[in-house]
Amino acid sequence: MAAEDDSVIRLKDVSRTFRDFWLRPTVKAVDGLSLTVRRGEVFGLLGPNGSGKSTTIKMILGLLSPSGGEVTLFGLPPRTVAARRRLGYLPELSYLHPFLTAKETLMYYAGLCGLRRAVAAERARELLRMVGLTEVAGRPVGGFSKGMARRIALASALIGRPDLLVLDEPTSGLDPVSTKEVKTMIKALSAGGMTILMTSHLLADAEDVCDRVMIVNHGRSVAEGRIGELGTSLEDFFLAKVGDADDFVLADFLA
Amino acid sequence: MISFWRIFSLEILALVRSRTLAMLTAASVAWMLAFPHLVRGDGTAAGARELDIHFSLGGVFALLVVALLSSATGAIARERAAKRLQLTLVRPVRYLSIALGKILAHVAVGAFVLAVSCGVLAARSDLGRSCSHVLSPVLPSPAEEARDMYDAYLKDPETPEAVRKAPKAVVLRLLTQRAVDHYQTISTNSSTAWRFDLSSAAGDGGPIAVRLRFTNQLEMRQDVVGDFRFGGLSATVSNMTQAVLMVPLAGQGGAPADGVLGFSNRGKTALMLRPRRDINLLTPADAFGWNLLRAYVALVAILAIVVALGIFLSAALGRPVALFVAIVLLVVGEMSPSVVEQYPDELETSIADRIGLVITRFAATVTRPVSSLSPLASLAKDECVEPREMARVALLGSVVLPFAFAILAAFALPRKQDD
Repeated sequence: MAAEDDSVIRLKDVSRTFRDFWLRPTVKAVDGLSLTVRRGEVFGLLGPNGSGKSTTIKMILGLLSPSGGEVTLFGLPPRTVAARRRLGYLPELSYLHPFLTAKETLMYYAGLCGLRRAVAAERARELLRMVGLTEVAGRPVGGFSKGMARRIALASALIGRPDLLVLDEPTSGLDPVSTKEVKTMIKALSAGGMTILMTSHLLADAEDVCDRVMIVNHGRSVAEGRIGELGTSLEDFFLAKVGDADDFVLADFLA
Repeated sequence: MISFWRIFSLEILALVRSRTLAMLTAASVAWMLAFPHLVRGDGTAAGARELDIHFSLGGVFALLVVALLSSATGAIARERAAKRLQLTLVRPVRYLSIALGKILAHVAVGAFVLAVSCGVLAARSDLGRSCSHVLSPVLPSPAEEARDMYDAYLKDPETPEAVRKAPKAVVLRLLTQRAVDHYQTISTNSSTAWRFDLSSAAGDGGPIAVRLRFTNQLEMRQDVVGDFRFGGLSATVSNMTQAVLMVPLAGQGGAPADGVLGFSNRGKTALMLRPRRDINLLTPADAFGWNLLRAYVALVAILAIVVALGIFLSAALGRPVALFVAIVLLVVGEMSPSVVEQYPDELETSIADRIGLVITRFAATVTRPVSSLSPLASLAKDECVEPREMARVALLGSVVLPFAFAILAAFALPRKQDD
């Protein structure tokens, strides 16, 4: 019962079927998935390409509605303003407004989170310092490198001081130094009490930062457990559950 | 509220930094400045002025309609395609704020460009020039007249069976159209009178005139010979006119309290006119400057409706489809009143024609509250853009319709994301 009270994200028997123009079902991306993410933990949603990770994330964010089952954030439907107030999201690509400067980007998202101008400016300064972009605060983000864009996107996700941070492939496309910085940041945020849900196909990254993982394949959960209790490396565990799936990019974690 | 202003300012920034605002302003000012040097009027000051307002300010307005519609239909759809919209949708911001912020930003840009263009027009115009209220005779509404005609038809034993069996709504619609065009015949050596409501006519003591305008499908050419009498004012007219005849009234004393205009036909032939269309009383109104301001407010309100429609379609559809649908709706809305007016005999047409007419009539009904006011035409002819009409259009265009479209857009936003 205590565990249920602690839940930040709950998915109960959730499914999602995509349909064509004539409403005929085309793909069942998620099929009866249930999961619970508890307060303060770093939860990894792992799976090969096309396994339903992104669809699951979008349902958690309220960007997609489930075809069946129930999704709640902090006990609320994800599309409610109250649920979204406690949410931060870093998408797989940064999707920034290219004509805004780094500071304007943060001020914009701070405004959407309801922060007043003075508070937003202070928070933006703080986050720019944290992600190491103070020097380029006045430059349009359209000219940023991928790593810089990723860092400003992460700062945008954190601007509203969220209780839950959803990270979709947070280290995707980053060099080893930036990857290490991001992982350190995730650990620091988790240590500060933030709940984090991340997806990744880089198993080494997940192994480094996650407390608990779920492996999904073909829209279904195939395994779930704490990293320390797997009894083997995450890589072996993953391959055992998913098989030697051709669609899993081995090179990414063997590199 | 903060998030609403953030959406608004982001959209303004996008329009400024993409140079949309600068290009629209530059194109509009260039057109306003160049037009009078490119085209000559009919040689009269009034003709040149009419041409100038119609085509210079009208050109800018047309440009803004097209540009803002194009921009508005992409405002949400483009962000969705670039996946930036999802970053906004996961924030604690109401979907209604997103739609309203984008609508307001586009309207603000349109209002700014239009204000600059009106400023250019004002700089070369005599702002103190007086305008006229254009009053129509007080008559029963066409719908009331149609009901009376319908009752009379039913009582008449010679009424064809087809009319009796036809749906009442269809017959009433046809009779209403007929009532609008109902002709009054004034025989030789007889008199008639029309009453005008002078309560909205402001000025006392200024010039008052009668305007006869025989613009109908037959372009009738009539001899108008007779006497007009309006309280202490009168005029004798002896003229053959094809289109418009202005008859200034003069004399001792002012307008009558009851607003009755009398006419005695002294000509050799009967005079036929449609009181609802062909005769107006022109009474003094305020200055051109005020009229320009009212026309500006009405034009901005119309732009707001166009923009709000574009934002709704952008929320509900992909960009190319939204733009296509918006343009089709705009064309149907613009054409529908004249189609309905010229093609009312649906009783004898095919199924396809009937469907087309139902759609066109619906479009005409929906757009009538706005299309009934023509601020540019009124401004060009020095006719008063009536404050009450302007207020109605402003309320519809600035509040009611944008809010309604914003609610629809807010409903469509998360659902379209589901596709």
